[in-house]
Amino acid sequence: MSFDAEKEIAKLWAKCQAVQDENRRTFYQCREAAIQMVGDGADENAIALKAWEIKGKDVAKSYLPRIRMDKPKFVENIAKLFVNSWRNQGAVVSVEPGADENEVFIVWERCPWPTTAKQYGAPMTEDLAGCDLALQTTIADVALFSNRNLKIETTKAIPRGEGKCVRRLWLEQ
Amino acid sequence: MARQIFEWDYTNYPGAKKYPHVFSPIQLGNLIIPNRVKYAATEDNLNSHDGYITDEDVAYMRERARGVAGGLCTMQGVYMDERRYGQGYVGQAAAWDDKFIPGLKRIADAIHEERAVANFQLMHCGRVGGVETPFCEGPSFLPQRLRLFKPVHEMSHEEVEISIQQHIDAARRGIEAGFDVMEISGIVGYLVSNFLSSYTNRRTDEYGGDIYARCKFMTDIIKGVRGAIGPDIPLIIRICAWEQLDDVGGNTQDESMIVYQEAVKAGVDSISVTVGWQESIVPVISRDIDFGTWLWVPENAKKFVDVPLSMAYRLFHADMADKAIADGKIDYWENCRPQIADPDMPLKYLEGREEDIRWCVACNVCLARLFRDAPMTCYINPTCAHENDPSYYPQPASTKKTVFIAGGGPAGLECAWVAADRGHEVHVYDDREKLGGTIIDAGLAPYNDDELYRIIEFHKAQCDKRGVEFHIGEKLTAEILEEELPDTVVIATGADYLRGNGAPGFDRDNVISLTEALYETKPVGDRVVVWGNRKPGIGCALALAKKGKKVTLVGAERTVGKDINPSFRWRYNMFLRQNGVTSYNDCDIAEIEDGRVIIMTYDGHRVPVEADTVVYAERGPSAFAAELKAAAAEESIETYVIGDAVVPRGLSGAVHDGYKIGLRI
Repeated sequence: MSFDAEKEIAKLWAKCQAVQDENRRTFYQCREAAIQMVGDGADENAIALKAWEIKGKDVAKSYLPRIRMDKPKFVENIAKLFVNSWRNQGAVVSVEPGADENEVFIVWERCPWPTTAKQYGAPMTEDLAGCDLALQTTIADVALFSNRNLKIETTKAIPRGEGKCVRRLWLEQ
Repeated sequence: MARQIFEWDYTNYPGAKKYPHVFSPIQLGNLIIPNRVKYAATEDNLNSHDGYITDEDVAYMRERARGVAGGLCTMQGVYMDERRYGQGYVGQAAAWDDKFIPGLKRIADAIHEERAVANFQLMHCGRVGGVETPFCEGPSFLPQRLRLFKPVHEMSHEEVEISIQQHIDAARRGIEAGFDVMEISGIVGYLVSNFLSSYTNRRTDEYGGDIYARCKFMTDIIKGVRGAIGPDIPLIIRICAWEQLDDVGGNTQDESMIVYQEAVKAGVDSISVTVGWQESIVPVISRDIDFGTWLWVPENAKKFVDVPLSMAYRLFHADMADKAIADGKIDYWENCRPQIADPDMPLKYLEGREEDIRWCVACNVCLARLFRDAPMTCYINPTCAHENDPSYYPQPASTKKTVFIAGGGPAGLECAWVAADRGHEVHVYDDREKLGGTIIDAGLAPYNDDELYRIIEFHKAQCDKRGVEFHIGEKLTAEILEEELPDTVVIATGADYLRGNGAPGFDRDNVISLTEALYETKPVGDRVVVWGNRKPGIGCALALAKKGKKVTLVGAERTVGKDINPSFRWRYNMFLRQNGVTSYNDCDIAEIEDGRVIIMTYDGHRVPVEADTVVYAERGPSAFAAELKAAAAEESIETYVIGDAVVPRGLSGAVHDGYKIGLRI
């Protein structure tokens, strides 16, 4: 039996992208279901934000066993956890250094989430607020667990038409 | 003046001469204990879900009490709050009300009936508690590192004070129940340790702050308990000398020594030294940790405190304990898992019957069971947690039979000695030159897996004492059965290693068996694919990786080591990573070609992996077992199939099968 590496990789890559797409679609399908179940007067924004908050909480749970406070570059290591999570979701994302080892920038050159939000009619304000809330929730639990004053803020956002998302992650002294 | 509860004269015991330090008295507070053996508190999940003591737990404790031969025997830690936030195990004993005293008294009485000293332990499980409540409680809220545990409710100041009083009240109940010694558990993530640790105590009230402030909860309990039990009852505390939580900002070792000093100042008579938390990422007690690894810890602690110290971790053997006591590293010998595996272990040392000890293999299946709300069990002790059931113990056979056993591995040997013990005439056949079966091969894996062979040494000694006849190097064949016509045949031949799954290439010369690879009877290239991601495959992969091979593990199980209990599997995963072994799980070999293997994922993707050698380590039904079973049926001989010959499993299945069939023949 011959082995065609290009064909195998193409098949795997297509499947990986399909899984990433399905992950986002499932989120918005559940959001839609929750809004319909609440019925008239449903606060779509509040429902979506609650979902993002739960997502952020669960992401934190997966990060906590990986946290090593006795290793150098604590902030960068946390940023890399985010980078891995978002790469798995189909984003093009990397970490850039800040002023010192207590500050880094996480840069999303491309993110598929706003596109999916548009497909399901969710406003860009919700997409941005949701993503921010997920990150803030995760960082809050990581900060609490590690007993360090870790902060995150958004300085640029694709949903605001700024071309890329940039989040500053830093340890407040 | 110091008092002694039971007189023991060890003068004529061989063990007392061989281990004079272990079998010499020790004074804790005002109590003289005849020897320096302590059975450490062990949860067993045998009590009722509302905390009442059961017959099963009493029987379990009675056996351990007999085993300490006059030493200190600790019952499992009790939780002390009606809300049950402190309950860490579904079958944990309770002491939050006087109504529990009669049940606790049964434990104290059972220990006393074996002429051992009864130790009562207070154990609020804190951060790892709340097993049947939505929350556990602790000094501060912080998220759990392990998903297994409940969210933490941060205790109010009032709740802290209530908890201290609950410790005091429970201590009083323990004494009223008849216990002789009191112990506070402050280890591995339980409530006292939560208050002590900078990792889990972020409080800003008087119970939080620097290490001295963090000690307040512990010292308040010690002082209160001391007041409740009076000056004559020895008070012990179990606390970490090293939390192994440096990665999350836990106490430094210096801080831990301050804790020790504060505990002594508050009034404890002795400290049980421990290492690590359940949340630690560093292994402490698994088999890969060498015996005696942690002895430096109490040795160091002795520079800071002058009360007797004990320690349990990976100190399984009396010679190590005796030397450690002689060298002044510890004052008495604590053990837990070795007496789960063999309740009589210290007694057998005393009586000079070391060959009768059934050794713990440090697999941690006991812990895995407890964390999954199951009753205690032991990998290699079939009677563990069945002490109250007479049917689990050998009784003389009503009809004496001639029993032929095919296979001298753990299943066959366990069956052999039990059957012989019951009066049967037993013959064991094995075509290998050495007894042990698969365990001989398993012992070639690194990380102390050679310890597994100690069960075979136990078996051999038991068989020899009971007159089992060995036919080493001789295979039990259909012809022998026809000739000898035994009453019973036990087929314990183990499993066969399967040469492939039918995929093309498995007939190539570079495809070899696990044993050929381990014993190097055939050449093994630098790049090896091991087929089979269960125990044998993992052991083989690690052994080859240790020899410098680049190893890839391929197997059908969805995760590597699915047949290893979760409390130990994480160690193997780490070993594989450390040794650069790549794993393809939920996969199979599709084809073996020149210099490479094509791996097929579960969903049909094909991945090429370079390989000079393919080792097959997957097991299936034994062809010889089937053949022998048919031959026995032909002669109408009573037949049993046990161990891996039934279905490939592991040492535990083999031992438990062998024991039970040994009882049944």
